[in-house]
Amino acid sequence: MIKVGIPRALLYYQYYPMWRTFFEELGAEAIVSPVTSRVMLQEGGARVVADTCLPVKIFIGHVLSLIGNCDFIFIPTIRSIRKNTYNCSKFLGLSAMTRAAVPEAPPILDIMVDVNKGRLRLYQAIYRLGKNFTPYPHKIRQASLDAWRTQLKYRYMMSNRGLTQPQAIAKVLGTSTPESQVESPETKTTIAVIGHPYLLHDDFISHRIIPRLKQANVKVLTPEMLADTTLESAVMKVMGRIQWTCESEIVGAGEHYLRSDVDGVINVMAFGCGPDSLMMDVIRRQATRLRSTPFMNLTIDEHTSEVGIITRLEAFMDMIYRKQRARVAVCG
Amino acid sequence: MRVSFPTMGDYWVFTKAIFDKLASELVVPPPVSQRTLTLGVKYSPEGACLPFKITLGSMIEALELGADTIIMPGNYGPCRFGYYHRLQEEILRDLGYKFQMINESMGIRRMAASIFKGSRLSEFLPGLIFSLAKLKLLDELPHTLYRIRAIEQEVGSATRIYKDTLKPLDKAKSYRELRQVKKEYLKKLGSIPTRSSDGVVKVGITGEIYVVLEPFANMEIEIELGKLGVEVRRPISLWEFVSNFNPLVIAFGLGERRRCYRAARPYLSCHIGGDGWQSVGEKVLHAKDWHGMVHLEPFGCLPETVARNIMSKTKEELPVLNLIYDEHTGKAGVISRLEAFVDMIRRQKRKPAEGKRSNLTGGRAHGSLSRH
Ligand code: SF4
Ligand code: SF4
Repeated sequence: MIKVGIPRALLYYQYYPMWRTFFEELGAEAIVSPVTSRVMLQEGGARVVADTCLPVKIFIGHVLSLIGNCDFIFIPTIRSIRKNTYNCSKFLGLSAMTRAAVPEAPPILDIMVDVNKGRLRLYQAIYRLGKNFTPYPHKIRQASLDAWRTQLKYRYMMSNRGLTQPQAIAKVLGTSTPESQVESPETKTTIAVIGHPYLLHDDFISHRIIPRLKQANVKVLTPEMLADTTLESAVMKVMGRIQWTCESEIVGAGEHYLRSDVDGVINVMAFGCGPDSLMMDVIRRQATRLRSTPFMNLTIDEHTSEVGIITRLEAFMDMIYRKQRARVAVCG
Repeated sequence: MRVSFPTMGDYWVFTKAIFDKLASELVVPPPVSQRTLTLGVKYSPEGACLPFKITLGSMIEALELGADTIIMPGNYGPCRFGYYHRLQEEILRDLGYKFQMINESMGIRRMAASIFKGSRLSEFLPGLIFSLAKLKLLDELPHTLYRIRAIEQEVGSATRIYKDTLKPLDKAKSYRELRQVKKEYLKKLGSIPTRSSDGVVKVGITGEIYVVLEPFANMEIEIELGKLGVEVRRPISLWEFVSNFNPLVIAFGLGERRRCYRAARPYLSCHIGGDGWQSVGEKVLHAKDWHGMVHLEPFGCLPETVARNIMSKTKEELPVLNLIYDEHTGKAGVISRLEAFVDMIRRQKRKPAEGKRSNLTGGRAHGSLSRH
C-alpha cells in the first residue's frame, strides 16, 4: 500500500480528516508525523534561515521525521479558498521551501488550490493528484466527494458542538469520544483563546495553554467553535474586506468574542509572524476601544519559557477573578 | 482637496507630473529622514515591516503639511502590503488626524472618480501619458549613473549630477524639454574624469521593492557600492512594475518580471506575494552576467523570507549577500558587510583568471588584475 506522509503542523489542523479520507478512498495509507518535540524544532530550524517563523521551522521538522516512513509527502499549496482572499506567503511557498530545505525528502505531492482561477482548474488539480494512486477518474471523483463530506462534518462538529480541532479529529477517527465543550460542567469563567490553530493546538508551541486553563476550571472557547459565516461577517465589520484566510481566526474571532459575554480574550501569536503582527494590533485597538473585555496578547518564540507563560496566564486570570468578585460585590 | 501620498525615492517627480493636470492640489511630503522613521516606529505595531513604518511616518509628515487626502496603493494579495492602508488609517485616526484615505479597495472606478474630481479628462489623459514618459526616464537615468559611479575619479560627482538633473526633469513641460534634460545629463556624466574600468564588478540589487527603491531605507546602498567600484544593476523600478500591466508585455511574456518568473519556475512555481518570486528568478536569470547579487529584505518580510530559503539552494551559483533591514540597522554595519562581499567577489573573479593564466605562463600570475 502506498503511504502518504502528512506533517502534523500548519494546515493539518484544518484539513486532516479530509485529506485522510481522500487518500484512504484511493487505497493509500495516511501516515501522520508524531507530536511536535524539541528535536523537531532544532532539526527543522537548522534547515531554514533563522528568521523564518516558528511554525514553519516546526513544519520542516515534521517533514524530516517522516523521511523513511512514507512514499510521498503531501504538502498542498493552498493559495486561496475564497475569492480575493489569500493565505500567508509562507503557505504559498511551502512546498517549494520544503523542496529546497529538505532535498532528501520523498517526492512531494503538491496540489494548487486557488479558487480565483476557477472551478475547472481546481478539479484538474484534484485529478492530477488522484492520478498518483488510480487511473480511474470516477474513483478520484468519488474520493474527493467523500473527502469534502468529511470536511463538512468535521467543520460542523466544531462549530455546532463546540469541539476543538484535536477533539474533532479524534472523534472523526473514532479514537476517542471527547466530551463536548458545551455540555461540560458548569464553570463560572469563560476565556476565549484566539490565534492560528497550529499554534493553539500544538502543545509544544503553546505550552499547553488550553489544557492549563481547563484544569483551572475555566471554559475555553476557540475560533473554530464559531461558524465560518460568523467569523467572516465579524472581519467584514472591522476591516471592510478580508485579506487573509487566517484573518477570521484572529480578527474575526477576536471581534466576535470581545463583543460576546466571555470574561477575557487571549491572543496567541508567533514571533516573526507577518500577518499576526498587523492583525494583533487591529484586535488590540478594538479591545481598547470597546473597553468591555480584558485582552492579553502572548507572543511565543522558540525561547519562550513555560514559567513565563504560566506567570502571565496567572496574572491575567487573577485580574479577571478580581473583576468578577468586584462585580458580585456591587450586585449583592 | 489637498492630496498626498507616502514618498518613495525620487518618484515624487512622477507623482507631481500626474497631479499637474488635476484639479486637486498635491502635497509632496519631505524626503524620508530619520524623523520620518522615528515617527513611524513610534506609532506602528512593533512587528510591522519597515516599509509600513516609513510610509506611516511619511503620511504623518504629509498631514502635518496640511494634506487632507492620502492615496495609498495596496491590493489583495498574500503579503502584508494590502493590509497597510487599513491599519494605517486606523492608527492615524486614533491619533486624531482628519483625512480621507483613497485606495484601490474602494474599487478602481470610485478611486479614480475621487482623484479626478473636477478635472477634465481631455487635459488629464495627455498629462498622464507625459508623466509616464517621466517615469520611464526616472528608470533610465540611473543606469548610466551606475556605470560612471563605479569608475569616477572624484567620489560623488556622478551622484551630484544625477541629483541636479531631478529639478529640470520636474520642471520639464514638454517632450522636447525631456529629451533636452536627458541629453544634458548624459553629456555631463560623460565629461566626468574616470579611471579604467577593469576590475569593476557587476552586482545586482533585488529584493522587496520599497527598500530597493528608497535610498533612506536601504542606507544608500547604490552609492556605497559605487564607492567600492561596483557597477550596480537594478532591474526593479516603478517603471518596470507599471509596464507589467501593458497588455503587449503580458501577451508576449516580455519584461524582466516575467523572465524572472520563468527562470524561477524549477524552484518556485507560483506567486507568493510581494516580490518574492522575482527575487528567486533574478538570481537564476543573472547567475551568468552578474558577479554577485545583494538581496534586500525588511525584517520579517514574508515573501522575501520564503525567497531567501529557496534562493540559497538553487543549482545556478551566484554569490548573494542578504541584507535585512529594520529600524535598528546601522549604516556602518551595512558598509562593512558590503566591503567584505565585494572583496570576496573580486577574489573569486580573479581565481579562474589566474588559473587560466598559470596554465599559459607557468604560475606567474599577479599584477595586472590588482585592485585600484
Ligand atoms: S501566518 Fe504567521 S505563523 Fe503562519 S506561516 Fe504565516 S508567518 Fe508563519
Ligand atoms: S513584501 Fe515584505 S516588506 Fe513588503 S509589505 Fe510584504 S511583507 Fe512587508
